[in-house]
Amino acid sequence: MAKNKIIVVGGGLSGLMATLKICEAGGEVDLFSYCPVKRSHSLCAQGGINACMDTKGEHDSIYEHFDDTVYGGDFLADQLAVKGMVEAAPKLIKMFDRMGVPFTRTPEGVLDLRNFGGQKNKRTCFAGSTTGQQLLYALDEQVRRWEVKGGVTKYEFWEFVKIFKDKNGVCRGIIAQSMNSMEIKAFKADVVILATGGPGQVFGRCTASTICNGSAVSAVYQQGAKIANPEFIQIHPTAIPGSDKNRLMSEACRGEGGRVWVYRDGKPWYFLEDMYPAYGNLVPRDVASRAIFKVCVHMDLGINHDRRVYLDLSHIPADYLERKLGGIIEIYTEFVGKDPRKVPMEIFPSVHYSMGGIYVDRKHFTNIPGLMASGECDHQYHGANRLGANSLLSAAYSGTVSGPEAVKWAKENVSKLCEITDAEIEAARKEVQDEYDKIRQMNGPENAHKLHQEMGEIMYEYVSIERDNNGLDICLGKLKEILKRWENIGVTDHGNWANQEAMFVRQLRNMIIYAMAITKSARSRDESRGAHAKIMLDENGKRIEKDGELQFYPRNDEKFMFTSVVSFDAATEEPVVTYEEFEHSLIKARPRNYAVAKKE
Amino acid sequence: MINVSFYLRRLHSLCGLVLLGGVLIEHLLTNASAMGGPEVFNNGLAMMEQIPQPIFLGIEICLYAVPILFHGIYGVYIAMQAKNNPSEYGYSRNWKFALQRWTAWYLVAFLIWHVGYLRIYTKGIMGEHISYALVQSTLANPVVFALYAIGMFAAIFHFCNGITTFCMTWGITKGPRSQCVVDKGAMGLCVLMCLFTLAFMSSYFM
Amino acid sequence: MAEQKKTVKFIIERQDSPTSKPYTQEFEIPYRPALNVVASLMEIQKNPVTTDGKKVAPVVWECNCLEKVCGACMMVINGRARQACCALIDELEQPIRLQPARTFPVIRDLLIDRSVMFESLKRVQAWVEVDGSWEVKDAPIQNPYTATTAYEISHCMTCGCCLEACPNVGPQSDFIGASPSVQAYLFNLHPLGKFDKEKRLEALMGKGGITSCGNSQNCVEVCPKNIKLTTYLAQLNRDVNKHALKNIFNK
Repeated sequence: MAKNKIIVVGGGLSGLMATLKICEAGGEVDLFSYCPVKRSHSLCAQGGINACMDTKGEHDSIYEHFDDTVYGGDFLADQLAVKGMVEAAPKLIKMFDRMGVPFTRTPEGVLDLRNFGGQKNKRTCFAGSTTGQQLLYALDEQVRRWEVKGGVTKYEFWEFVKIFKDKNGVCRGIIAQSMNSMEIKAFKADVVILATGGPGQVFGRCTASTICNGSAVSAVYQQGAKIANPEFIQIHPTAIPGSDKNRLMSEACRGEGGRVWVYRDGKPWYFLEDMYPAYGNLVPRDVASRAIFKVCVHMDLGINHDRRVYLDLSHIPADYLERKLGGIIEIYTEFVGKDPRKVPMEIFPSVHYSMGGIYVDRKHFTNIPGLMASGECDHQYHGANRLGANSLLSAAYSGTVSGPEAVKWAKENVSKLCEITDAEIEAARKEVQDEYDKIRQMNGPENAHKLHQEMGEIMYEYVSIERDNNGLDICLGKLKEILKRWENIGVTDHGNWANQEAMFVRQLRNMIIYAMAITKSARSRDESRGAHAKIMLDENGKRIEKDGELQFYPRNDEKFMFTSVVSFDAATEEPVVTYEEFEHSLIKARPRNYAVAKKE
Repeated sequence: MINVSFYLRRLHSLCGLVLLGGVLIEHLLTNASAMGGPEVFNNGLAMMEQIPQPIFLGIEICLYAVPILFHGIYGVYIAMQAKNNPSEYGYSRNWKFALQRWTAWYLVAFLIWHVGYLRIYTKGIMGEHISYALVQSTLANPVVFALYAIGMFAAIFHFCNGITTFCMTWGITKGPRSQCVVDKGAMGLCVLMCLFTLAFMSSYFM
Repeated sequence: MAEQKKTVKFIIERQDSPTSKPYTQEFEIPYRPALNVVASLMEIQKNPVTTDGKKVAPVVWECNCLEKVCGACMMVINGRARQACCALIDELEQPIRLQPARTFPVIRDLLIDRSVMFESLKRVQAWVEVDGSWEVKDAPIQNPYTATTAYEISHCMTCGCCLEACPNVGPQSDFIGASPSVQAYLFNLHPLGKFDKEKRLEALMGKGGITSCGNSQNCVEVCPKNIKLTTYLAQLNRDVNKHALKNIFNK
């Protein structure tokens, strides 16, 4: 019997994990990535991966991990999905350990654990401060092994452009383009798994790699796949602001004892410890980001009245820092030129992660049969806010679900699918080819990269830490304008060899359309939950203030404890938001308050 | 797999250090006797000629000709695999890496001349005996003197730097400190041997 | 301030296709603090006009993370192989010369094809032969000191700096270079990876393996991750020699 052919798009942690599982289940994988998979963005994850190992005498339990994740996600995560993930976590760690991930160890040689935001117990396994890199490499090596054995064919430097469907609307393969020869080709498959990561580049400067543009997600969204919870964009509280990108300073800094402060009345004010005595510097990311934003923007206490605060490690012994945080200290020294062992670092929040993504069920199927999504590009596991060190876990875990499920689906369904003719496939290919040829001939006055920068600035202005309905309306209008201006882009490179400019122009359009989905979805959710914090407006459209404090919408479980589901209206190119039920019966929703210790 | 290139390369290293190192030291000691004057030098040569002809030839072929040819020919193959780049990466080890190859090229030409003229033409074909006077008259030409001096320096450097790389290649020195100590020692030896060479070469004209 | 607006000058070596001839173009961009080479190239993308006013195709190069962990943006900057993202303009002599790393085939401009490095990783079997990704049993306890060494080597991001700087790697030679060789050592350290140590040593003894190392030691000088490559190469030499003796006498 012929092996089932699965296409995996994206070679990060999730894509590689899925690939591995598919090979082990007897399937065959065509792995697409627009960089060598070893350079995927997963390697930027620094702090660690959560799993209840309970080796620190704290009586940590899987239930505690489960509850922290659900509570941290402000009760918007599907609880059955989360339960599956936290239960599998310790097994995944052991697997990675066997594969050779150089986890940091205790003197007796077992895995060390560290503290992380939003958790009271030590639960985060780590490899220095480059955990993502180490995990990704382990999977990369195992996939390379399968490549030698013959289960995997890699298509590196191939960009996914679109899926193609048969007449029943089942996804039957993808159209991809070589980034060097620019050849556009159709690839057939029994199942397609997208593991294409987050959409950080929609915000221009962020902590994500330049490759994390969400273009693939947007492409399938325009082809009918639904998106869920895109308004939940995690803003990481501690990043080094930069003009090319904001570089992440891991939460591990705070986990290992780093303190956040600014000067107030000439004296250091440790405002996180002051505002949230129970968790102190280890409050979850959304809480910390809003606090820093408030201190800088509303109280004007930032360093030199700039949007920056101190993250201080200088009180921690240098050799301890070297051992636990070596990698990120190096990043700061390298890119800023100052030594965090001696002076406090200057940081500010930055767009970091998208909790939302393609709408999937617990098995990672999308609403398009034959199309699955896995990793950051799906919407599962994190609800309204992700806990630090849960992303590596969800990425790896989702691959262990999507991979085997893909093979299972293929085995059960392939024989029932209708015939798809070469002419149909060629028509789909031709469409992409025509679109690309048209882009190559674009001759307007706009520069794609400048337009991208502009879009990022708009998104930061209106759809980041604090949102209000006025701003979101303005933002939607501006995005529509940008989409129109996209038509007037001029490319300087009309050639047909490694034409990065043309590819970027195509991605940019997808990014704009995804940005609209984020904004529309944020506009529709009139509450504050997790990373989505919305300020109330009075009837004149002015922000409501009480005692000098901005008034946020409270969480509204009755109206909004639902998944926002966004579908694309092809006629107007606009997003349509609806709400869907999800599973939240295991842990009853309760108010989320990090000023006091969590009560269950 | 029998890994021919691995064994050849290791043999090249061993042959260079032990056999050709021996040849170099033998030459240094023999020629150093010139410092004692013509009698000492000529007596030394005469002693050597007491070795029966077939044995002497055997030694020349096994300990001189074959190792030199092997080390030289395989060495040319190795040197061709390098694109020297000390101008971009001017670290001392990289300079020595390049010098190792440049001295090698010089030594190939030098040895063809030296062996071809002295051993094959003068001694072999013309049947002349090598003597203090012969060497003295040869070196009297300043160009020849310079070429010989450079040839000796090249051989000495090539040998001494070879000690350092030998220790790395055979895994004797592993860490940077031990490698550095051996390197410094070898370079010290190199300077001493060069001075020593200069001394006996000049002694002909003192 | 306006009249003394500082600029940064670049001389970029370009090449339109793998077979076409290289040429250079000059660009000038406005200076700002903490600017690095990748950010400068992005600036050129936004306005791809040379100093003599010619509108040209934007420079093609590869970059991902901009944090010096992905290894993508390696190029030759002022004659030295390094990551472009952490090459700060303030620390570079101007005009800044950018060239592709020609040890590898050039695809276009500064974009190169490093697939040979990934092929070398296959050759040295740089992986642990686990039975599968399923649960087996607890992973073995590891000596924390050995694990620290493994962690250091495991930082290698396959950027290719060590290959570009090595005089013995290039089209003229078949040497696989420091990075893949030392990866073999990484897996020889692992308590399970150790089981296949001899296979990896055997691979390193093959043509273009560790034997081709000429000890120029440029690799350790240019490694952006400060991996003690020469130390591990020497250790590998030791291991390979022992293995060779075993081969000779035990068979």
